[in-house]
Amino acid sequence: MKNRHCIYTGLMMIAVMLFTGSACTKLDPETFSEIVEENITYKESDTAAIIAQAYSPLRPVMADWMGLFDLQEESADEIITPARPNGWYDGGTYQRMHRHTWTSLQEQPSSLWGRVYLGVVNANRAISLIESGELPVGAAKPSLLAELKALRTYYYYILCDNFGNVPLIIDYKDLSVPKQSKRQEVYDFMVKELNDNMAQLRESAGTGMYGRFNKWAAKTLLAKIYLNAQVYTGTAAFPQCLQQCNDIIQAAGTVGYMLEPQYRDNFKTNNETSRELIFTIPYDDVNALGFIIHMKTLDPLSQQVFRMEAQPWGGNCAVPQFIDTYDAADTRLKDTWLQGPQKTPAGVEVIDYVKYVESIEKSKSNEGYRIGKYEIKVGAKGSLSNDFPVFRYADVLMMKAECLLRAGQTAEAAALVTQVRQRAFASTTPAKAIVTVADLQKGSSYQYGYWNNGQITELQGGADVTYGRFLDELGWEFAAEGHRRQDLIRFGIFTTKKWFQHRPNGDNRKLFFIPQEEMNKNPNLIQNP
Amino acid sequence: MIDGIPGTLNTVAPEDIESIDVLKDGSAAAIYGTRGTNGVILITTKKLHGDMRPTVQYDGYVSVQTIARRPEFLTGDDYRRLIKEGIDFVDYGASTDWLKEITRTPVSHTHNLSFQGGSATTNVTASFNYRNWQGLFLNSDNKQVTGRADVNHSMLDGKLKANLNVITRSRTYWSGVDAGEGGFSDGNSFNSYVYRQALIRNPTDSVRNSKGDWLERNIYFYDNPVAYLMESYGQNDERETRLNGSLTLEPIKDLKFKLLLSGNQWSETRGYAETKKHVSTVKNNRNGYASRGNSERRDKLLEFTTEYARSFQKHRLSLLGGYSYQDNTRENFYMQNWDFPTDQYSYNSMETGNALKRGDAVMGSFKDKWKLIGFFGRLSYNWDDKYLLLASVRHEGSTKFGSNNRWGTFPAVSLGWRVSKESFMSGLTWLDDLKLRAGFGVTGTIPDDLYASLRSFNYGNRFLVNGVWVQGLDAVRNPNADLRWEKKEEYNIGLDFSLMDSRIYGSIDAYRRLTKDALFDYQVPVPPYPMPEIVANAAQIRNTGLEVLLNFVPVRNKNFQWTSGLNYSTNKNMLVSLSSSSFAATNDYFDAGYTGEPIQEATHRVQVGKPIGNFYGYKSIGIDDNGRWIIEGKDGKPVASADKSPDDKKILGNGLPKHFLGWNNTVQYKNFDLNITMRGAFGFQVLNFQRLFYENPKVVQYNMLNTAFDKVYGKTRLNDDLALVSYYIENGDYWKIDNVTLGYNFNTKGLKYIRNARIYVAALNLATITGYKGIDPEVNRIGLAPGDDERDKYPTTRTFTAGVNLTF
Repeated sequence: MKNRHCIYTGLMMIAVMLFTGSACTKLDPETFSEIVEENITYKESDTAAIIAQAYSPLRPVMADWMGLFDLQEESADEIITPARPNGWYDGGTYQRMHRHTWTSLQEQPSSLWGRVYLGVVNANRAISLIESGELPVGAAKPSLLAELKALRTYYYYILCDNFGNVPLIIDYKDLSVPKQSKRQEVYDFMVKELNDNMAQLRESAGTGMYGRFNKWAAKTLLAKIYLNAQVYTGTAAFPQCLQQCNDIIQAAGTVGYMLEPQYRDNFKTNNETSRELIFTIPYDDVNALGFIIHMKTLDPLSQQVFRMEAQPWGGNCAVPQFIDTYDAADTRLKDTWLQGPQKTPAGVEVIDYVKYVESIEKSKSNEGYRIGKYEIKVGAKGSLSNDFPVFRYADVLMMKAECLLRAGQTAEAAALVTQVRQRAFASTTPAKAIVTVADLQKGSSYQYGYWNNGQITELQGGADVTYGRFLDELGWEFAAEGHRRQDLIRFGIFTTKKWFQHRPNGDNRKLFFIPQEEMNKNPNLIQNP
Repeated sequence: MIDGIPGTLNTVAPEDIESIDVLKDGSAAAIYGTRGTNGVILITTKKLHGDMRPTVQYDGYVSVQTIARRPEFLTGDDYRRLIKEGIDFVDYGASTDWLKEITRTPVSHTHNLSFQGGSATTNVTASFNYRNWQGLFLNSDNKQVTGRADVNHSMLDGKLKANLNVITRSRTYWSGVDAGEGGFSDGNSFNSYVYRQALIRNPTDSVRNSKGDWLERNIYFYDNPVAYLMESYGQNDERETRLNGSLTLEPIKDLKFKLLLSGNQWSETRGYAETKKHVSTVKNNRNGYASRGNSERRDKLLEFTTEYARSFQKHRLSLLGGYSYQDNTRENFYMQNWDFPTDQYSYNSMETGNALKRGDAVMGSFKDKWKLIGFFGRLSYNWDDKYLLLASVRHEGSTKFGSNNRWGTFPAVSLGWRVSKESFMSGLTWLDDLKLRAGFGVTGTIPDDLYASLRSFNYGNRFLVNGVWVQGLDAVRNPNADLRWEKKEEYNIGLDFSLMDSRIYGSIDAYRRLTKDALFDYQVPVPPYPMPEIVANAAQIRNTGLEVLLNFVPVRNKNFQWTSGLNYSTNKNMLVSLSSSSFAATNDYFDAGYTGEPIQEATHRVQVGKPIGNFYGYKSIGIDDNGRWIIEGKDGKPVASADKSPDDKKILGNGLPKHFLGWNNTVQYKNFDLNITMRGAFGFQVLNFQRLFYENPKVVQYNMLNTAFDKVYGKTRLNDDLALVSYYIENGDYWKIDNVTLGYNFNTKGLKYIRNARIYVAALNLATITGYKGIDPEVNRIGLAPGDDERDKYPTTRTFTAGVNLTF
């Protein structure tokens, strides 16, 4: 009897052993739907995926909800988000942006910080993989590294422009709490990085380098950095800017850059065909979402006009004072702003966008011209396929014109501005495209002052703005392209003039505060004044 | 734990439960490992013990539900009255009670049949349970069939015992929400969006237009709730099979081996469709929409224990050692499509839609798995039932931690002293039992995230490389390779007592818990981390509390018996620290909870030295003549709402009740029995989201609570934008008459086949006494933002039931 018990016991033990086997104490996690780093062996064919992860963070940075576009435009004098009958107060965030009363808790700068640094970390990872040889890329190594460093510099350029003093992280593996660099140091890094890598960058444009940093995109970026050197460091660098612009203009014929005869072609759904675009952020309504500018600007009723698959939200619009600066013959007014009666394909009017906006605190749903620059195709979805134009050839010509203007070479500057204006007046009054030396000496035609129910009270005007006319030109050409805040700062207006219901609120508003949540986490950070 | 195997309360039908025991203190729960770190609920299902004559039992009941307290919004007549006062509402001419249009009085019934029979060596318990429940909202239902069989067999003179238990459950219910890619969220029958639309829709508007079609308007997030509900159709089919068995062998006296094996398989198949009359087509031009999904969970468990138990003289000793293995696999699949040629297919011909072919629709699948392995030992010793000792240790490992930290060791010890057995107490005849207990135990907690320690990448965001949209290889998370067990150390002392022939009995327990290495979504700097959060062991939390259980029998005689039970508990907690060796925060706080759009503010602040659950925001102290808030500034002086700054924010209350009290009464008079359950919570605040969002008269595009035009602070109407201020934080104290049941037992003495017969009527959630203005002060208390009464949460219901129990 006793033996039999031993047999049962033994059998039971064996059953236990069989069930558990070697797995009885093994606890290595099994993954199925994610790839653990140890299991990755990079091959040259993985290069595209590594490049993709470095560039794709640009999409949320730019044209997505509370992206860079909103920071650059809604803190400036062209675009506002007034409260609407359906809301748009949102804790006062848009009103603080407009009135420059933001704190370190402001949402737009907070999300920008995180999105841009994701790009920095991803670019660092790509650089680290290629530099170390973990990702074999063959002969392309020098040009790829140079390209990724240019991309990383673009991320730092956004940080430098908006926050100034930021941590400079270039080592992917270093997880120590970062030190903060001064804006001057960030500037020096950017200039050196681009100059050091310029020779290795690819010179070709076209499909292969579309949406990526070739030499000309890097030079445009460098020109932009030099253009704003006075703001970033206190020392101007217009001659250096001019040099970069000249290099690009000289090569334009060979590479294939030119002003598109039709202004609108730069912003249409398939704008990748534009020969004017030097650097873009590619979006796609199926593969690469995040272009939501139309959703924020259109009233819900516009859904019927474009037979959209999503109901737009009805928020931001043009500042009436800015609209008043346009020449009626300037076709960019209609090419940039959606205005007047909006009709369905069947011809039924659903809403009439009027120029007037009551106030930042209260407005009717049809008040204010809407951003119509980016073509909204019939059947548009919640995200558009238009690529965001970061640098256009027109931008290079205008940067050159500004350098010449500031150097006193006004006639040459006037010729360049005229060149850019010609297509805007070609179908109306071609003669009006011409800008004279005298014109360029004028101030701004913007009626700066406080907006009170359609009356400008506390009038400041723009006549006193040095090179004000040139700033107006920048406004008309680049409205709703995320340029305006930077331009207003460079022309000394951002913290001195009143527009709509904005009053100056201190010179320190030229920089956004470092997000409070980052201040809380990193004791090395010192808040901007 | 259901018969020793992990499960949920849904796994077995309530009618099948024999008993429920709760183990709360750390020392008792330690043997169960991480699964028992928040206490253990032991559910024992009905089984036969020894010889029993065959019985059949039937239980059945029918119930109806009503909304306990409905939110009162403006009516059509209110609109017209306010328009005359100059308010900018639109009058479409009708009067519609939108909430009434989407709800009904649901009728539900439940039937349970169980069979028992067998001999001392072999016996069977089997049961069959059927439910057909209706929901409050139109269309919503829940049909479930559960079958259970439990077979016990004893052989070799009782030395080998075998048990086999099968539970199979099949549930089908209407679903009004597209489950989406996430899976496991189970597409719900309650669509809070539809509920919100009913609340905010203009009460002067009509359900249908003159042609009989649904009336829709082109207003922002403003859809006809009746149309939304009636033009969507979803069905979820849930299946669960639980198979477990055990073998117990006693080769020699006092020695017992037990092998327990269990497999549990749960699956859910989902379908959801929207017709071409749904908003998705009428407004968003999708031309019909459908989705399908499937989720599956498999759980395997093996436990092997060896127990040696021996009694000699006055000593009773038991030694137990064991090994346990558990793994859990989850899988999920989802697809959607739209632009269908017809509505006829619903979701049953997914290939006929065009959106997937165009690349517009998405699909997704995923799978994950975790394992938990434990070795454990327990010693219990008892001398003359007077001195008791229980000591245990569990060595447990989980796949969820970093490679060097997968294993943790969790000891526990408890001591008991039955004072009443001491000779010096023998004179106290009124004392039946008095026992002192003291214990210490450590339990461990594992994170929810299965792979938080791993550095992983996934193909995802695309970028245009050479004209092709290539997927980038993106980081999945901030990995934490040092992730380790959260450990909870608990000290408890307790007292059990029974007096006057058990007319008064109960217990008192006091505990102090210190949670070390608490797992948190810890905030890390960006850069160098690409994402702002990491799962880390970073905090220490202390809980102290007291629990009192008191039962008494005021009346006990042949015809009349009244038993009464009181339970009281109180808890205090505090965040002790918020940093670790790897992470050090500069601030000793972080914010939690979220109002959602459009206010977009945190509702709570979690701060070192302060309790969890503190509301944090602007303290409103008045309203100015223009209807704008006046805030108490940081220096205590009034600040206009336009001038307020984040520095002015303060602690505005706490969402965790300080006191809980429950009171049960059972009265039996002859054949009648009456049971009344009451409970309450005291000393806490609730953030009333419904008032926060719907009691503001400024946005007149949507309907609002009928109190929105009342004077604020008795002064004037509000004319400010939506803002989180203390005006919406209310005391939540409540006392609920939770359950009242009245039953009658028939006299079955003369009947041949019927042994027991009882009928009863019951009311659930009968009455609530509270000063809280929302629909129910009993709100979420879990997590770091307790006390947020969500805006569009499912309305609390009141249920009336009539039922019968029969035993043959």
